[in-house]
Amino acid sequence: MENEKLELMDAYAQGKLSREERYEVQERMLQDEQFRREIEAHEKLVHNLKAYGTRQEIKAKLARLEEELTINSKSNSSVVGDIPARKNPFKKYWPMAAVAASVALVSIVGTLLMTKSLASELETKQTAIYKELRKNFEQIQRSQSRMMENIAKSSEKPVPPGRYGGSGFLVSANGYVVTSHHVVVGADSVYIENAAFGPLKTSVVLSDDTNDVAILRIDDPSFNLQRPLSYMISSAEANLGEEVFTLGFPREDIVFGEGSISALSGYRQNPNAYQVSVPVNPGNSGGPLFNDRGDLVGIISGIQTETTGAAFAIKSSVLLNVIETLPADSVHQPLVLPRQNQLKHLNKVERIKKWKDNVFVVRVYAKK
Amino acid sequence: MAEYYFDELIFNEIRKKNEVALRELYKTHYPMVYHLICSNNGTEQEAKDVYQEAVLAFYERAQQPDFVLSCKIKTYLYAVSRRLWLKRLWEKKRFDNNIPDNEPFPALDEELVDFEERERNFETMKQSLEALGEPCRSILEDFYIRDLTMESIREKFGYTNADNAKNQKYKCLQRLKKIFFVKYEAADGK
Repeated sequence: MENEKLELMDAYAQGKLSREERYEVQERMLQDEQFRREIEAHEKLVHNLKAYGTRQEIKAKLARLEEELTINSKSNSSVVGDIPARKNPFKKYWPMAAVAASVALVSIVGTLLMTKSLASELETKQTAIYKELRKNFEQIQRSQSRMMENIAKSSEKPVPPGRYGGSGFLVSANGYVVTSHHVVVGADSVYIENAAFGPLKTSVVLSDDTNDVAILRIDDPSFNLQRPLSYMISSAEANLGEEVFTLGFPREDIVFGEGSISALSGYRQNPNAYQVSVPVNPGNSGGPLFNDRGDLVGIISGIQTETTGAAFAIKSSVLLNVIETLPADSVHQPLVLPRQNQLKHLNKVERIKKWKDNVFVVRVYAKK
Repeated sequence: MAEYYFDELIFNEIRKKNEVALRELYKTHYPMVYHLICSNNGTEQEAKDVYQEAVLAFYERAQQPDFVLSCKIKTYLYAVSRRLWLKRLWEKKRFDNNIPDNEPFPALDEELVDFEERERNFETMKQSLEALGEPCRSILEDFYIRDLTMESIREKFGYTNADNAKNQKYKCLQRLKKIFFVKYEAADGK
């Protein structure tokens, strides 16, 4: 009787029971406290015995390895033999290291002090050099026509009314486009255009001076993507160093740029903007800034001149706030934000293809 | 890059209990631990002991299916060796907390609690088996560790029939159980 029980426990502990038998044992363990304790003790014992066995084996193996190593090192003094010679290399070099460290310290402190006294000067100098990236076609046109004059000696071409340009991008499938306020300020009419949709007339539904955000609506009421936008508008703050991408129209062709978030505040510590290391030029204003998940994180707004690689972008959270203030309009469909990101798993090139169709050149004809 | 590749390879082979990989691993990182201990009040023999324990800890950990190699093997071994050596120094009252911890390994405490428990159980079992004496010890080792069948055990120890051998085995097991749990509880209570 006692042996039978032991045999059962032994088989259980070693996992040699069939499923039904195992189930039976477990059932019995639930009912019989005494039995449960016994079987657990047995299991522990067998488990420990086995663990002892495997450990013993590894220990023996390691002991053999160690012996082997010792013999090897004694015969050709390779692995261990040469180590005592360089027991503590630092000891030998520490005076030199100490000298080097002190020199470094002096120069660091010196530089800090010097830059500190210069810092205030720099600050005042920097104040006047924020530059919005609106492209002025008039200037180009004039210089172009001047060139033409020089070449062809003809000045018959009339100069068209003031034209400005920037970039913009879709934020909803039913035709709402976002750009910068400074791109459309003083506009008479605003057209957008890209390769996928051709030219479209839009009207400005909201232009927020303080946040430098403008929302346009495509006038054509039949305009609809028929599918949701493939990117979302991020409501969270981007992280420092996050990779970001932009698409814009500093030329007639769409131009891609990439870089990182270099600061979480904008020009003069503006908390509503990022500093980004993306190459941008006049015409990039209002262009989207995407992160590496494909979501929109900002709107390109300007650069700091005399500083290389410092561009600024309005944060997407600001854009969301502005969108919230959009007045309800009974005639047109309301702005519906995209809810799903479909670009997460695409590679960069595929993503740009998707983004590209939703980015527009914004052409502004100003009141004369 | 090459080092990571090497680590990955060694780790996977050790999982498969490949002895060549274990040998490579042992050889590769010994100088580091030797240097660590010999420049911190230790002898060569102590370095060997500590290193063996560290490799053992790694080896056992690698066998566990849930273990993911989250750092370089070198880092793991250094961290474990350092900790073990500090403990020994503490026991020898020669402790100075001056050993550089240049590559800290965050979850070290959890790693080592487990390891120390296994070490303790191992020692307990070893003592229990010694106290058990022959032929019981050999019978149990043959059956549970070397996985011999009852039939070959019967032959080896010269029992007349299988039932006798089985009875003997169970008696031995019961005795071992008594000895082991007395010691186990004593060690646990310490």
